[in-house]
Amino acid sequence: MTRLTCPFCGPRDLEEFLFHKTLAEPGASAYAQVYERANRPEDSLEHWQHVHGCRAWLLIRRNPSTGQVLKLELLGGGGA
Amino acid sequence: MKGPEPRYSAWALLRARLAGAGYWRPLWSGRRLQEAYDVVVVGAGGHGLATAYHLARDHGIRRVAVLEKRLVGYGSVGRNTTIVRSNYLLPENHYFYEDSLRRWERLSHDLNYNVMYSPRGIVDLALSDGEMVGLARRGNAMRLAGIDAELLDRRGVLRFAPELATSSPRRFDIVGGLLQRRGGTVRHDAVAWGYARAAAALGVDIIEDCEVTGVRTEGSVATGVETKRGYVKADRIVFAVAGHTGAIGEMLGVHLPIETHLLQAMITEPVKPLIGSVLVYVYPHGECYVMQSDRGGVLMGGFMDGFPSYTQEGQWFRLEDVVQSAVALLPQIGSLRILRQWAGVQDMTMDGSFIIDRIGYDNVFLNGGWCYGGFKTIPASGAACATLVATGTAPDLIRAHGLTRFATGHLLDESGGGPFPVRL
Repeated sequence: MTRLTCPFCGPRDLEEFLFHKTLAEPGASAYAQVYERANRPEDSLEHWQHVHGCRAWLLIRRNPSTGQVLKLELLGGGGA
Repeated sequence: MKGPEPRYSAWALLRARLAGAGYWRPLWSGRRLQEAYDVVVVGAGGHGLATAYHLARDHGIRRVAVLEKRLVGYGSVGRNTTIVRSNYLLPENHYFYEDSLRRWERLSHDLNYNVMYSPRGIVDLALSDGEMVGLARRGNAMRLAGIDAELLDRRGVLRFAPELATSSPRRFDIVGGLLQRRGGTVRHDAVAWGYARAAAALGVDIIEDCEVTGVRTEGSVATGVETKRGYVKADRIVFAVAGHTGAIGEMLGVHLPIETHLLQAMITEPVKPLIGSVLVYVYPHGECYVMQSDRGGVLMGGFMDGFPSYTQEGQWFRLEDVVQSAVALLPQIGSLRILRQWAGVQDMTMDGSFIIDRIGYDNVFLNGGWCYGGFKTIPASGAACATLVATGTAPDLIRAHGLTRFATGHLLDESGGGPFPVRL
């Protein structure tokens, strides 16, 4: 995993992106959303931001054991 | 020859010489997995082995097994950068780390195994007045706790670490530093081997190639673990699986306040003695530390890659960042070639401090969340965790490090970064 494909900017170096957090389970309590993480070694749902680019927030489904990106979309829907 | 491995001593060396080949034997292998144990420790890394050792030595619990997926010392205990220190800000942390440092000082003697503790000193550098204020705050907190810390001005830093003197002026000059003289390094593999040998000598079964795949439970208690080699009954279970603690949590049905991140290190070709201590500089968007290994290689490390990963492959941009910082600190290493680079996986907790507590069940314990500071705490962690497991009560040193602190708001946020493992 050395690049991510931003919906606006296309494939860009990983260095331009900032990982924010792994998401807790859907419907989790406020405490869980702040502190707990779903640690699935092969299927992780995460918030990222293209912080050194267009600054778009991204929702990425990834396999942290291989680095493979399973799904990447703009956070909150919408589109490029 | 039968019986336990003899103690290492000059006398033993002499006897071995006279006895010829066959006097020394494998240190911990050859034990057979039993059906039931008082305590099963999962993970034969530093923390697991130290916990087993202290269970046997301090609490007289002899039916202890350490189950390891791969080999003794194959995980983070063999992949770290071997630094030991106790220069932490928060009392809950620095008393614990200081307990560990005191144990490091006598560990070779306690284990009868040379772990090569090298108190070469560790210097945190400041390149601005503001950073100096931060170091003074931390140093004062340490001194109030009776831990050695010396605040150095520029001249003091250059006297302690003359290798930092440069012939041409620096763009950002060194303003001062915080020195802990008793900090330094310990040979990491020797720690794993020494604890394994000492634990095995006390009757602990160390079983390699024995992956734990599940936990059997009845109500609020666990009854044993499922392993690759079959079911093992256990009165108590300890998980010490640095880097994979989050996954263990999922196995037990607990979402932990942990993410698994990568930390890289790299080493150059060997050169003659150049760097006499451990030099650290933490800057606003990362950090860099440089030291020289006993073989002469210049060892460098820095901040995490910044996102969850189990791959043990570091990202190029982090390597570049660390090397740039190291060369800025020590321009004379700029012409060296890097021989090896590696990365380790680590549990990053949501406040940057570790967790030793019950998890999920009354008799299941977690020793994890060591973030990027697990190696230096091995002796204290083993002793404290063993006390918790044996007596059911957490000793004072780790009372603040329970899992509930995240819910009650008693976080131990050393860096003041909030509930994120990464704050770049």
